[in-house]
Amino acid sequence: MAKESFDKEIQYLRMLALTGNAYNRQQFAGRLGISIHTFDKTIRKLREVNGEQDLNDLFRYSYVDSAEPTLLFLYRAKSIKESESQRLPMILTALKQQTMTATQLLAYCDEQLIDSDTVPPDEKTIRSDLRYLEEIGVICREPGTRPYHYRLNNDLTDCLTQAELIELYEFVDIMANTQIPSVQGYLLRDNLKKALQATIPAEQWDQRLIEPFHYKYHYDARILDEAHLYTLLQMIRARRQISFQYFSTKVKNNYSARQTNPLFTDENTVVHRHIVLPLQVVYDHQYGRWYLLGVNPKGQIVKFRMSGMIDIVEEKQQSEEHVAKYLAKLQRKTQYSWLVDTGDTITVQARFYKADPLPTDFIRERVVLQGQWGQITDENDEWFIYEIQVNGYIEIRPWLRSFGSSCEVLAPAELRQSLIDEWKEIQAYYESVREDF
Amino acid sequence: MNLFEKIFSYQLTSVLEEHGTYTLTTQERIWLKTMLDHPIAGEALSADLIAKIIDCISEEQQLLFQPALVEKAGSHQYHMYHTLIQPLRKSIRQQECVSIQYENKHGQVTGMQPAVPWRLEFSMVKREWYLIWYNLRSQVAMTTRLIRITQIEDLPAIESTQYNQIQQYMEQKATANQHQALIQILPQYNIELSRILHAFSCFEKQVEFSEDTQTYRIHLVFDGSETHYVLSKLRSLGKRVVVLENNYLQWRLFDASTKALSRYGIDQI
Repeated sequence: MAKESFDKEIQYLRMLALTGNAYNRQQFAGRLGISIHTFDKTIRKLREVNGEQDLNDLFRYSYVDSAEPTLLFLYRAKSIKESESQRLPMILTALKQQTMTATQLLAYCDEQLIDSDTVPPDEKTIRSDLRYLEEIGVICREPGTRPYHYRLNNDLTDCLTQAELIELYEFVDIMANTQIPSVQGYLLRDNLKKALQATIPAEQWDQRLIEPFHYKYHYDARILDEAHLYTLLQMIRARRQISFQYFSTKVKNNYSARQTNPLFTDENTVVHRHIVLPLQVVYDHQYGRWYLLGVNPKGQIVKFRMSGMIDIVEEKQQSEEHVAKYLAKLQRKTQYSWLVDTGDTITVQARFYKADPLPTDFIRERVVLQGQWGQITDENDEWFIYEIQVNGYIEIRPWLRSFGSSCEVLAPAELRQSLIDEWKEIQAYYESVREDF
Repeated sequence: MNLFEKIFSYQLTSVLEEHGTYTLTTQERIWLKTMLDHPIAGEALSADLIAKIIDCISEEQQLLFQPALVEKAGSHQYHMYHTLIQPLRKSIRQQECVSIQYENKHGQVTGMQPAVPWRLEFSMVKREWYLIWYNLRSQVAMTTRLIRITQIEDLPAIESTQYNQIQQYMEQKATANQHQALIQILPQYNIELSRILHAFSCFEKQVEFSEDTQTYRIHLVFDGSETHYVLSKLRSLGKRVVVLENNYLQWRLFDASTKALSRYGIDQI
C-alpha cells in the first residue's frame, strides 16, 4: 500500500493556522490547487479526527485555555480500516493484562467476537499485527523460545510512582513546549496523562494537574513541518539526494494535486521538481519556521522553506567524500548567517541607547539575549556599542528595527540609510492620523 | 521514524481509551532519551528518577540531531529552568499559600509578602519563567520573574472558599484587559505574506482577505500587558504593515519613527 501522504492536510492547516477564516472554500481550494470536491473531502476527514468541531475554532487562541498544541491532531489523522480499529485494541488490551502467544490471541479474539457479526481474524493477520506492534515498540517479546509470548511495553510508566509520573509529566511538558522537535513529546505527554489518570480516582481528578504551565507566544504552525523533519534527517544520514515539488512565495498555490486524476490537471500549473542533496535543517526561532539547506546538482548551495516542500522522493546516494566536501562548504558559508543568508560577510555596528537608569536595563538585556554571537564593544551610562559579523544585513535588519529609537545603526552606511528611509515611510503612514492621537 | 503511524490515529486511541489502555512507542522513548541529555533534565528531575527512566529505556538508541539540525536566531537559553519551579508548582497543585520576598524593578528587596501562587508562565520570547500570584496583603494580582524571587516560605492554607474566590478573580484578571488592533498588510508586500502572518501567529487573531483589492487585514486581540511585544513585532515588520485602528499603537509608531529619525539627525517632519 502506498504511504498515505498528508501534504494536502498540512498545507491546508498551515493556511488555516496563519489566516484563520480569511479565505472561503473556493479561495482555499484555489490556493491548494485542488478541486472544491477534494477540498471538502479533506475537511470532512480532518473534522472527523477533530471530533467534528469547527476547524476555525481551533485557532481561536486564548492563553486562559489549555496549553494543548492545536495542530497535533494532524498526526492523529491517519485512517485505519474499521476491522483494525476493532482488532488492534482487542490485542493490546489483552496484552496489557497478561503475556500471550499468537495462538492464544487468536483464541481470545474468537471468544471476544462470538456474539458479533465481525469475522474473527485469521492467524496470518494476528501475526502481522504483532510484527507491526513490535516494530513500533508498543509490545515486546518475552525472552524464551517458541512459541513467543508478547506483552504490552509500558515499562516506562509502569515502573513509576504517582509522584514520579507527575514529575516526569511536568518535565515532558516543558521540553515539548520549549525545545524542538516536539511532536513525539506531545504524544508522550498524552500517554503520561493517561497513566496519571489511572492512578487517581475519578472523583479526585483535577484538570489543573495536566496543565501545569503556560507558554506565551508559541508558534503553533512549527509542529506541522516536523512531518517532513524525520524524512529529511534520514536522507541526510543516508547521504541521499531528494527530489520534491516546491512552492516559492511567488506562487499563490500551496499544494498541487498529484497528476493522477485527469480532472485535477490544470494546464496552467507548472510543477517544478527540484533535485537537492540535503545537508542541514535550520529552525528559525524568530518566526517559528524551518528551512532545508543543501546543494543542487550544479554544486550550488540552495535553501528552501520547508513549508513550501511537498512530495519528497528519495533519489541517488552520494559518496561520503562528496557530502563531506559540500557540508564543509555549507558550514563555512553559514558560519555568520543570522539565519540562512550566505552573502558576503560584513560588520554591523549599532549604538543602543539604554532605557531609564534602572538597575536592570531591559534594552541591554534583550541585546545580550537575542544578539547571537555579537559583542558589546564599548559602553557608558547612556549607551553601548554592539558589533556583529553577519552575512548581509537583510536578516538582521528586522531585529535592529524592532528596537525602534533605542537603536541607531552606525555601519554599514547602506544599512543606516535604509533604516532612515524606512523610518521616514513609517512616520508618513501615521502623520495623517496624528490628529486622532 | 514516521509521525503518521496507525497507532497514533484518533480512531484507534479513542477505542483504546474506552478500555483504559494506552501505548508507548519507540519514537516517544527515543525522544525522551534525547531530552534527558539536555542540561534542564538534571535540574528538573531528581537523580533517582533519571536513573529509573534510563533503566527503562536503556535499549533505545539515541537520536543525534547534530550537525544536521541547527537552531538559528534564538535567544541564549540562560533561564530555561529555575529551581523554584518545583516548589511553586507543588504549592499550586496542593492549593497552598506561601510568603514571597522578591527584588522589584528598582532593585529594592521587598519584605515577605503573603501570596497565593496562581500560575507559572514561560515566555518563549524572553525565554524566562514568571510567577503570576495574588498578594493577600495588598489584594492585587502580581507578575514576578522567578529570577527576581529571593526567598519563599510555606504559609498555612487559607479557607477553600477564599481560595476559590481568588482563583476566579485571577481568571477574570487574565482576560479583563483585552486590547484590539486592526493591521493591514500593504499589498505590495503580499509576497511576504507567509512571514508576516507567522510573526502574528502567536496571537489571537482573525484575518480577512479582500479579493478585489488583494488586501489582507489582521484583527489582533491581545492583553494590555502584551502591548510592548506587539509594538516590537510591528517595528520589526516596519513598512510592510500599517495599523489602521488602535490609537495608542499608531501614536507609539509615529513617536518611534520620529525619535529614531532624530537619532539619525533628522528632526523636521
